[in-house]
Amino acid sequence: MSMLNASAGAAQAPRLARSGANEKPRVAPWLLPLILVLGLFYLYPVFDVFRLAFMRATLLANDGSYTLSTLIQTLTRPELGQILWVTFVFTGSSVVAQQLLGLAIALVVVRGESRGLFGTTIVRTTALIAWVVPGIAGGIIWKMLFNEAPFGGLNSILRLMGAPPVQWLSDPHIVMWSVVLSNVWRGTAFSMVVMYAALKAIDPVLYEAAAVDGATARQRLVYVTLPQLRSAILVNMILITIQTLNTFDAIISLTGGGPGRATEVLSLYTFNVVFRNYDLSVGAVLSILMLAISLGLALVYAVFLPKDEK
Amino acid sequence: MNAANRERLGDVLSYIFMLVIFAFFAWPLLWLLSLALRTRREVFLGVSRFIPKNPTLENFTLILQSDKFIGYLYNALKLSCLSAIGCLIVALPAAYAFSRFEFKGKGAWMMAILSVQMISPLVIMVPLYRYMAAIGLTDTHFGATMVYIALAVPTVTWILKGSIDGIPKTLDEAAMIDGCNRFTAFVRVILPLSTPGIASAFIISVIGGWSQFLVPFLLITKESLTPIGVGIFQYAGTQNDSSIQLLAAACLVSVVPAIVAFLALQRLILGAMTAGAVKG
Repeated sequence: MSMLNASAGAAQAPRLARSGANEKPRVAPWLLPLILVLGLFYLYPVFDVFRLAFMRATLLANDGSYTLSTLIQTLTRPELGQILWVTFVFTGSSVVAQQLLGLAIALVVVRGESRGLFGTTIVRTTALIAWVVPGIAGGIIWKMLFNEAPFGGLNSILRLMGAPPVQWLSDPHIVMWSVVLSNVWRGTAFSMVVMYAALKAIDPVLYEAAAVDGATARQRLVYVTLPQLRSAILVNMILITIQTLNTFDAIISLTGGGPGRATEVLSLYTFNVVFRNYDLSVGAVLSILMLAISLGLALVYAVFLPKDEK
Repeated sequence: MNAANRERLGDVLSYIFMLVIFAFFAWPLLWLLSLALRTRREVFLGVSRFIPKNPTLENFTLILQSDKFIGYLYNALKLSCLSAIGCLIVALPAAYAFSRFEFKGKGAWMMAILSVQMISPLVIMVPLYRYMAAIGLTDTHFGATMVYIALAVPTVTWILKGSIDGIPKTLDEAAMIDGCNRFTAFVRVILPLSTPGIASAFIISVIGGWSQFLVPFLLITKESLTPIGVGIFQYAGTQNDSSIQLLAAACLVSVVPAIVAFLALQRLILGAMTAGAVKG
């Protein structure tokens, strides 16, 4: 709703101001297509999700009355706790691993470039290629790697080295880490690119000053590099957290949420509720839960952002 | 240990780290390629035939000869290109306005556009599916294209704004002194100058459209209209272990176009992306 008001304000503002300046452009016509698309495809659907959450609607029928019972029933479903825990483990470990690995690769690549080492471009490009692979294809590729048949790309290496095979996808205690591994493979390049750009933007004078003061490599990292990267790391964490929370194509084609519910994250659960069980209202409540989690996390991260860069 | 030795040790460690990272990122795709080039018998020989003894292109021929796959690829190309063009039409004027005009609430608008991306496509697909069904836009490429546009437009607007920011304002002013109005200055001066930004925004949304799964999976049920993302998922569901080499070939066929498009414009795309992310 606030968006509609804002658009009316934006349309009026130039008209009021026109008497003052001789050339005050009208903003509204330039923004109109964007406003229409966002309003039609985001604002109205989100509004509708809230409406549906207070109804008892299925994909096929809707009795039109409003009730709180769907909300209560959904939030007290016995499996929801398990789903949220799975989502938390998957998102948390993916985000931490992507951030750390992305930063490590960026640091090594930047160091390698300054030392003229061979292969920095190859490493960077390889990671980026994994990032371009569509989610569904990524899931299928990793399913082949994790396969326990002779053509499984990981177990056949283990066998070659004489190690016992691992039940990557069928052991409920291991499967989560397999899914995280495949997600880290596909997602790390984004963090790497952001960290690389942020590293390149650090003023070299800071390192010269640190060198004059006799700082060791570790001190340079802790006292110069990391503080300088702080806001880039936070922005990156916000972006990859949201991406990971919304990930579901890579999981649906890798495990389908199984075995049992071991890898059924909230987005996949919502999908199943709406499009397999046709329960629209419950799906709407779960959608709101997803929105609330993204928003809450974004706010938590934003608190840690330095004041001047908010 | 003196400084030079320490640097040399650092180099060795860097090389080891880079090798491990390379292996991690390259192995899945190399393995996929290896499987796709094998005959059915060699598939079951595991890593010892990483380089197949009798490499064959038969798997690819089989996949590309079926009308089904050509259709999937064509649909994906059509959907992602049309939506990328539509996305530019929607985003370019807005990006120009955000770059050049001063108006009340501009910062808030920019943040609103960015935060729209937080909304999972799944959330909006729940009601959109109902509308689309009600007005008969399911099973049409038009309906799917519109949703693709909506999903890509926030990012593309930010990228284009960044690229237009890099063009000096004096050029618009000069054009307007020479008799252009805002719109003709935008079309004749700004558009030609922001070609690199437009190209990278275009490719980013094409790659995004190519990887779409959720939207076409829900909106399109006719096989003849299905794009590759959904096609490969359904194909994978019908395959078993004895035809894994065919699945590998099909998977490679679906992945390679995105990779090629990305590699061709890598420099441009990375520049456009990081400009947005680092500035916040």
